[in-house]
Amino acid sequence: MLIVVLLKGVPARTTQAVQIGGVLNREAMDLVLNPHDAKAVEAADYLRRRAGGKIVALTMGPDMKLIPLMKPLYDSEVGGVDEEYVLSDRKMAGSDTLATSYAVALGVKKLVERHLAPLDELAAAIRKSGYSEAVKAKAEELYAANLLPNGVYSDLPSVKDTIVHRFLDGKTTAATAVAELAAEKDKLSKFIVVAGVKTTDGETGSVGPQVAEGVSELLGKTIPHATYVEEFEVDPETGTVTTERRIGYLSQKLEMQLPALLTISHEYRPSTAPASGQAAARAASYRGKSLQATKWTADDLGADPKRLGLAGSPTIVGTGIDIGKPPVQKKVGETMVFLKRVEQFEFETKKYGPYAPGDLASGLPTGAIDKLRSEGSVGVFDTSMLARELLQ
Amino acid sequence: MSAQPTGVWVYLQHTKGDLTRDSLELIAAGRSVAEKLKQKVVGVLIGSGLESMEDRAIEYGADSVLVVDDPALEVYFNLAYADAIYSMVEERKPYVFLFSANEIGKDIAARVAFRVPTGLATDNVQLAVEDYTNPALGQFKDLLIQIRPDFGTRLARIYTPRHRPQMATVRPGSFAPLAPDPGRKGNVERVEFKPGSYPAKVTEVTELPPPVPDLGAADVVISLGMGILKDAGGHPRDPREAYGYAKQLKELLEGRYGLKTEVGATRALVYAEVKELDGLIGRSNQVGQTGATVKPRVYIAVGISGALQHRVGMQNSAKIVAINTDPEAPIFKIAHYPIVGDVYEELPRLIAAMEGTSAG
Repeated sequence: MLIVVLLKGVPARTTQAVQIGGVLNREAMDLVLNPHDAKAVEAADYLRRRAGGKIVALTMGPDMKLIPLMKPLYDSEVGGVDEEYVLSDRKMAGSDTLATSYAVALGVKKLVERHLAPLDELAAAIRKSGYSEAVKAKAEELYAANLLPNGVYSDLPSVKDTIVHRFLDGKTTAATAVAELAAEKDKLSKFIVVAGVKTTDGETGSVGPQVAEGVSELLGKTIPHATYVEEFEVDPETGTVTTERRIGYLSQKLEMQLPALLTISHEYRPSTAPASGQAAARAASYRGKSLQATKWTADDLGADPKRLGLAGSPTIVGTGIDIGKPPVQKKVGETMVFLKRVEQFEFETKKYGPYAPGDLASGLPTGAIDKLRSEGSVGVFDTSMLARELLQ
Repeated sequence: MSAQPTGVWVYLQHTKGDLTRDSLELIAAGRSVAEKLKQKVVGVLIGSGLESMEDRAIEYGADSVLVVDDPALEVYFNLAYADAIYSMVEERKPYVFLFSANEIGKDIAARVAFRVPTGLATDNVQLAVEDYTNPALGQFKDLLIQIRPDFGTRLARIYTPRHRPQMATVRPGSFAPLAPDPGRKGNVERVEFKPGSYPAKVTEVTELPPPVPDLGAADVVISLGMGILKDAGGHPRDPREAYGYAKQLKELLEGRYGLKTEVGATRALVYAEVKELDGLIGRSNQVGQTGATVKPRVYIAVGISGALQHRVGMQNSAKIVAINTDPEAPIFKIAHYPIVGDVYEELPRLIAAMEGTSAG
């Protein structure tokens, strides 16, 4: 199974966020992996244990920053990723969620094509050359490039029973082998995309569903999605994934046919993959890890430049608003307030009032305050006054 | 595009045959925008058996309601609901379309926005209408100004100048529902649903009980921050003591004054996973950008410094009391009643004063 995990590099510290015209300049900041993505990586790891296949990390942003960021995931034997793809292009800078989702959807489509095409290549080689070394050479080349599942071709001593081996050993005809490859392609086209529920910088939670919508548009078929997934199970045989999620006032079970997209909640805890499916999972797995991250530019993706970056972003981030607007403050033990109702009065030829209990007296001339204080009309705001005002 | 896009649409969620509180708030948000634009508020209702809710939407401030009432839509299903909404948007071209910024609102709005395509500004805490000039794009009259917490230290204005509708999600708790007016009249229009076939289906739905604590519905919220872990002298204190005071105040306010009171917490305190507070304070208590947004009559911030991420979740409270040892704490900038002092002295003093006060 092709498991695509969407990752994002987010600023490590909010105080260090470098902005140009409302757009974060990621090249000038220290980035960390979006903390919410950790659950997506866990989910991807479970999927690989359950159904086999390959975990492909897809990310977007400056490649020089993102490749080192993904390195620990790549290096780790457990819970890591097998391959990395970075969508990196100046033309993508300043993308809002819509433009980002478009680019990421193109990336997903290209990844799927990249993994389906080798099966066609192999089928073509079989059709063309029959029982020949050319088929074996092609299979070896593609397998080494990490593009064929073990069930198609493998050099693992433990995996002898592959489509290509059976064919080369004369156990199957060319027609059968081609049909088997077509079935394999069909299985592989049932990919899954997992992502975190949101990122710590944008906090929108929109990109997951929008990538599902984008891939739907690009593939010409509906790709369902489930957000905030707390539990899920996948059935590689039928190509379905069942999810459980809590959304507002509902808890919902959603059963989806693959390909589908999930965003993984904090509440998700991976379970143990059943032992029964392990042989099938091994057959669906690939050689291992690819050594280098792959960078794709806008041109590589065949992107419409009008849908990328600032040009492709309907939203514009404008000027900020300081929310620290100071209210009228009353400090316990400090602020002078009226203790009783005081009608309008004159002090040094100026008129003041009327005042209600609780009104601020602090704006009055000192002489007036002293006079009102001596009359018992004004006093210091105290806790019991506070209690009264809160209960009003 | 033929006709000029018009109308402020609000997507109305419902449960157990009634509109949710989020939806009533959203109608109020829509009204505030529509009045400035001199346009109508249109409620969008999707589901099955919705008759009773059409009038409710109008009572609470909608000018008209678009209803897609179909047995096939009985349970919430994102793909079918998004299709129903998208086809109405395409046909009728609203100027603004608002959704609640909860899981369901975001689930649909994101897909619809991509398909239109238009921008989606999420998690807005304020909305405004202003003219906007952009050096590269030109001048725009009466644009929806979408105001949301920005990454960093401020609120940002988000504009969607070139696309319609201007789509936004509004954080629950940011607007108060309008008082219902049973005499209000409005037009109800039924829209047909053309069921599609989907590679997904909802197999089980359970309605969840209201959240505990229900911070959004509270009259008074007493929130605890990291400041409760030590006293003014910097000596460690058992935070259960501060929690006990909060509970005591809650019981007093509910018992004697009938004020629904809940205990909240900052993200910092929740994530600190303080052992003593295990089972007392958890994620569901969290107020702020990643927790609940609240707008109670009284908000009491206990030992909270007031990071922006916290303030955006409570800044609209009617009366804010803040107790903190640090006179420079940002919470004091928005507090109506700043109390610089030790939580363990000031909070009991406030409780004692409230015990001795009759509601006035």
